[in-house]
Amino acid sequence: MKAILLVTLERLTTAFRERVTLFWFIIFPMFLLVMLTLIFGNIGKQGQMSFSVALANMETSSGGPADFSALVESIFQEVAKPTEEEEEPLFSLAQPAAGEDKDAFIAREKEAVRLGNLSALIVIGNGFNQDLMGNITGQDSATGSQSTITVYQNQGNTGSEMATSIIAQIISRIDREILAKTGRFDEQKAVPIETDWIGSAEGEVPYVDFLLPGIILMGFFLTGLFGVPESILFARDRQILRRYWVTPLTVPRYIAGFSLGHVALCIVQFFFLYLLGRFAFGASLRFDRIEPVAFLFLSSLTFLAFGFLIASIAKTANAGMAIANILNMPMMFLGGLFFPISGLPPVLKAIVFANPLTYLAEGLRVSLGVETGALSTLLTIVVPLFWIALCLLIASRRLKWDVGR
Amino acid sequence: MGCGTMRSFLALLHAEFVTILRDKATLAFTFAFPVLFVLIFGPLMGGSGGSQAAHIGLIITDGASSDVLKEVITYAGTITVTDFGDELALEEALGKQQVDFGLMWNGGSLRFLYDPSRVQENYTFQELAQGIASAFDLRHQNLKPVLVINKVHIGKAAATNWFNLVVPGILAFSIFSAGLFAVSGHLTAMKERKLLDRLVVTPMRPVTLLAAIACVRLAIVYISTLVTLFTAIGVLHLTFSVNWFYYTIFVIAATLASMGFGTIIALLVRRPGSASNVANIISIVMMFLAGVYFPVEITPSYLRAFSKALPLTYMANAMRYVTGVSDMTLVRFWAITGTLFALGLILFPFLARYVVRVDRR
Repeated sequence: MKAILLVTLERLTTAFRERVTLFWFIIFPMFLLVMLTLIFGNIGKQGQMSFSVALANMETSSGGPADFSALVESIFQEVAKPTEEEEEPLFSLAQPAAGEDKDAFIAREKEAVRLGNLSALIVIGNGFNQDLMGNITGQDSATGSQSTITVYQNQGNTGSEMATSIIAQIISRIDREILAKTGRFDEQKAVPIETDWIGSAEGEVPYVDFLLPGIILMGFFLTGLFGVPESILFARDRQILRRYWVTPLTVPRYIAGFSLGHVALCIVQFFFLYLLGRFAFGASLRFDRIEPVAFLFLSSLTFLAFGFLIASIAKTANAGMAIANILNMPMMFLGGLFFPISGLPPVLKAIVFANPLTYLAEGLRVSLGVETGALSTLLTIVVPLFWIALCLLIASRRLKWDVGR
Repeated sequence: MGCGTMRSFLALLHAEFVTILRDKATLAFTFAFPVLFVLIFGPLMGGSGGSQAAHIGLIITDGASSDVLKEVITYAGTITVTDFGDELALEEALGKQQVDFGLMWNGGSLRFLYDPSRVQENYTFQELAQGIASAFDLRHQNLKPVLVINKVHIGKAAATNWFNLVVPGILAFSIFSAGLFAVSGHLTAMKERKLLDRLVVTPMRPVTLLAAIACVRLAIVYISTLVTLFTAIGVLHLTFSVNWFYYTIFVIAATLASMGFGTIIALLVRRPGSASNVANIISIVMMFLAGVYFPVEITPSYLRAFSKALPLTYMANAMRYVTGVSDMTLVRFWAITGTLFALGLILFPFLARYVVRVDRR
């Protein structure tokens, strides 16, 4: 037992003395957690998105209660104002200056849209008020037409597409408001709309709650994929292991101590990431139940086994690192760790379903109540166990614990 | 250049070329990774920019009229509808992500059902749902919309495909990483292994070594961008109208500038071995914040401001221009390319000094 614990201590001490290890296994996952949460954590939220938009009202018959063009203009101006202090408005709105030639303004802003310097240009045409009034009074006719607001966009610019989509939503609300003001639309008869969420969630899951389990698994994954083969192969290549075998330390004891050290390293990683997610970003996940702990333990063992597999396949330490690098990106990004993996083409989906990370990520998130789960709980346990068995079977036959003499 | 210098340059060129051909990891990174990025990240991040496509699960309670609702859904966007008989089946399908969101109509109210774990996509689904609800509200009172939006596309026709936008960004990123790691990976590794110290005591001039490294990297990077481009054309059936002259000039400038940025890292870090870690962090930050995969407009204002300071932002925009995906004024293109050239050339002497500099103890 003492030998096993000494090997465990050696594993931990070596890991923490290596700056590279500290960087990749602790600092890098923390860094990724921070960055992804900052970027994706607030998609769609008020005050977090902002698009540059221009608006030109070409209507010449303005003023009066039927000045719908002014109503449209005022609503977009309202959207361009911050709603609360320090909250950025959804649009930063550019309009022609007093006395400026509107046609020149439109030409200039169209060029800005084309070059990607402006997300969209909204143009309310001349005759809009009269046209709209005619459409409102002609609602009862079977051939009632619609007044158009022209939006110039650049479909080659995703920001422009998003801005146009939001503009369409606003115009749809303006439409309803106009019909309500003219007595056509009865607000009392409006269809009630409810929003619900499946599962036990009371609302949308915060992105950090979705992301944190993925980042924790990523940390375990990197430790297993890189740390395990690196330690074993470098120790073998430098004949450190050979020196161990002349002592009473046996291979099984070494493996036991090494594995214990790996699990301990994963525990350290978990605490760093959990504390960062909890106190910096308000993650509300609870790991004080048996199911999430069991999945974390299963994950740690799965990647340990993967590490042994790579160590058994690679002839040298550098070859092992090269194999790990090749496997790293597809497995990590096609395992649902950071982004949902729905809507992928069939070839990528095949990789997703063969990837043990997919099952571990889902099992962990379901056990934490983050999602209801597309896969059965049994699969999320059996598939990683299958990979552990497969990796250990191959490693037990192929892994050489000493370099050839 | 004297005969001796030319001979040593050619010898170093050959040595660098053979070294890189033997370095399977670097070759894999340079050639395979950009292709992987296109094939993996493209579909993964495709929803981040917003989309009007979705798969809805629909439940119409017995007795409720569905014609108007179905007609409204048809015009709402590219929507596929699957009918469900009961809520349990719909929830199960939602949980398995067989549908994107659910819609229930009982004749009196509309109920939208979402999967809370679809954190990045729910915003788009809720937008679609809002559009459906608004249109249905009007039609329910026998009204038609009196306002409609007329979208006019300004820009290149080739740019209307999502992947058309992503691929040039990935090309720019692969050029940036290759150049960055040429210095803060390869050269710093030579420094750490004392190879540079051994070379410096020979008559070889540092600038000769750097020229050889730069030439080999330029060639490898250029070929790798072509491989990625033709893979995107062949596998994803994309079209690009590439201006080959501008493309070549830009790739050279971007590679040199990236090597210049690698020089800055190499000069600033204490240990040569740490340079590649710093380069990794920088390249990952740039990958996410330079507008390569999703618009920066969806990020907080401080990140948007930060992205304007990133060289990769301008590289990606210039690459979109030379591949015919988006527009840019010629002045702006030459300003970007010229700046990149200048950065590379200005930092070259510093890199040469790094080569001969004694290691800090």
